[in-house]
Amino acid sequence: MGTSALSNVQPEEPVSEEAPTVRKAPETTATKSRRPWSVRPKMIDPARREVVVAGRPAILCVDNVSVSFDGFKALNALTLILDKGELRCLIGPNGAGKTTLMDVITGKTKPDTGTVFLTHDARDLTQLKEYEIAELGICRKFQRPTVFAGHTVYENMELALKGRKGVWNSLFFRLNADQRRTIEETLELIGLHEHAAVRAGQLAHGQKQWLEIGMLLAQDPKVLLVDEPIAGMTHQESERTAELLNSLAGERTVVVVEHDMDFVRSIAKKVTVLHEGSVLAEGDIDSVQNDPRVIEVYLGEPRA
Amino acid sequence: MTAEPAVGLKALHTKRGWVGLGVAALLMCVILPALSLGTSASSALHVPDYLIALLGKFLCYGIVALAIDLIWGFTGILSLGHGVFFALGGYAMGMYLMLSIGAQGVYKSALPDFMVFLDWHELPWFWRGFNNLSVALVAALAVPGLLAFCFGYFAFRSRIRGVYFSIITQALTYALMLLFFRNETGFGGNNGLTDFKSLYGYDLHEPSTKVALYVCSALALLLTYLLCRYIVTSKAGRVLRAIRDAESRAMFVGFNPTSYKLFAWTLSAVLCGLAGALYVPQVGIINPGEMQPANSIEMAIWVAVGGRSTLFGAVLGAFMVNGMRSFFTAAMPNAWLYILGSLFIAVTLFFPDGVAGALGRFKLSPAGIAKRFKR
Repeated sequence: MGTSALSNVQPEEPVSEEAPTVRKAPETTATKSRRPWSVRPKMIDPARREVVVAGRPAILCVDNVSVSFDGFKALNALTLILDKGELRCLIGPNGAGKTTLMDVITGKTKPDTGTVFLTHDARDLTQLKEYEIAELGICRKFQRPTVFAGHTVYENMELALKGRKGVWNSLFFRLNADQRRTIEETLELIGLHEHAAVRAGQLAHGQKQWLEIGMLLAQDPKVLLVDEPIAGMTHQESERTAELLNSLAGERTVVVVEHDMDFVRSIAKKVTVLHEGSVLAEGDIDSVQNDPRVIEVYLGEPRA
Repeated sequence: MTAEPAVGLKALHTKRGWVGLGVAALLMCVILPALSLGTSASSALHVPDYLIALLGKFLCYGIVALAIDLIWGFTGILSLGHGVFFALGGYAMGMYLMLSIGAQGVYKSALPDFMVFLDWHELPWFWRGFNNLSVALVAALAVPGLLAFCFGYFAFRSRIRGVYFSIITQALTYALMLLFFRNETGFGGNNGLTDFKSLYGYDLHEPSTKVALYVCSALALLLTYLLCRYIVTSKAGRVLRAIRDAESRAMFVGFNPTSYKLFAWTLSAVLCGLAGALYVPQVGIINPGEMQPANSIEMAIWVAVGGRSTLFGAVLGAFMVNGMRSFFTAAMPNAWLYILGSLFIAVTLFFPDGVAGALGRFKLSPAGIAKRFKR
């Protein structure tokens, strides 16, 4: 069964003028990839890749992904293309599928249909394990800060540091001068240089969030997925976070999931609105906020 | 900057820690054996043979406790089946000892007595080669390691954790106990392997042989301790603790938890096999009773009592609980299981981090190791 056969579900509404055109074909139902014995191609069909990328400077493509949990469609034929170096905000009401989308990209959830791929790598990410995806340079910050609470800030950074992560390498691992410098610089950037010897569990909430972002940076990611970075932060803390995220984009692709529209306005150039598992609107913040469909979804206005 | 993790010998211990370890090693490896062999039985300084035999056993238990601490304390996987690895190591050594009895057995046959009794005429294939000590020693490490590797591979790959994993390990040790109870399995069935005469030509009943075995056990414990210490202070140890505390985060940072768990688990089983191989010549018997589920639970209790994720706490716990066991099973044999049970409950309620943790809180511990590695 070819990739193209798996991913021919046309989104019900045309999502944006930039959405790739896909051939119309009947939906295939016999492809539940969660079964270990089901055979899915591990590589992306190059022809399909061309169609999806459509000449954009893309880095990560989510192609026609559907996920359902017990009949509830968390993602519904979702297609999302991220360009190199952009900072993209994902918004949408509760249950729109934002976190599920992150789960699919990072390999935590295996989709029923559809593929995820990096433009410079031939593999289908949905077929890889979480740690393999992390090695490819897709890193994720969780909704709640999850750092290694029992380790010091410095040790947290050491663990996150890019490099070979096998058992044997770790047994005989010594930090070299470059790596030390990377850690120190990153700690400086996230403002935790003073706290290097402190146990991460003892940090304030905002500092944990920054430490987590710092750990992602130490992995030298290509794509950074950030889930609700300012949840529970004070005003000053969220301002600093906005600065931090803005400074990261450009070199890296950053995807931010956030509810706080002021925050989104302060960082985003491009916003994608998710609704019921697919893309409802995409564009700059003003056009999105004035989009009647978006207003309807958020405010629940009855259809005229 | 102090934040950077120390490396090399400095990472293993602080200065005081090294001194404490050196004193303990000197006492156990040199002074006690010298006092046992070098003094006459009437001397006040004489260490009696029974004490050497007892301590020799405890040293083996100490190795087991370290092995369990590595997988439970540092990796967060509670095994209630480590008795099986210990017993397999013991059986490998027992097979060698059995074959070195030669024709001195009751039936004056080159075959072990139980085989003659079962009317077998030649050695089963899996007994071949065991008349060589090095083969037996390799098997004592490799067989538990291999079993643990296969078992762990499937369990960890399927992401079985927590209490489910613990229950499966209980089933594992129980299943192997039932298997070894059968005469047809070829390991002496119910009675196991016993009546050993000599090890590598040395009479096992000689005090000097006993002291030599004791010293071997003490050195093995010391080396095991240093090995575990190296692992838990290396980056790999920090990864193990990271997996214990936040497995999914560790995964998204790029570590494969399965291979780390498998490493710690397999090494832990190998160390148990080593302990078993040293234990059997000292106690003179190995039988399927060692694989009783209750035995493995008791091993976990040693570590819980001593204090998890401190290493020295595990050894301390093994010595303390077994010391109490020796005392109470002689003084009031019927009360021992109740005492053990209450001890476990009391420790869980009042000292969740064990004796070592309590010492650490009172700042009595050498180098505050407990404090450093407490959760």
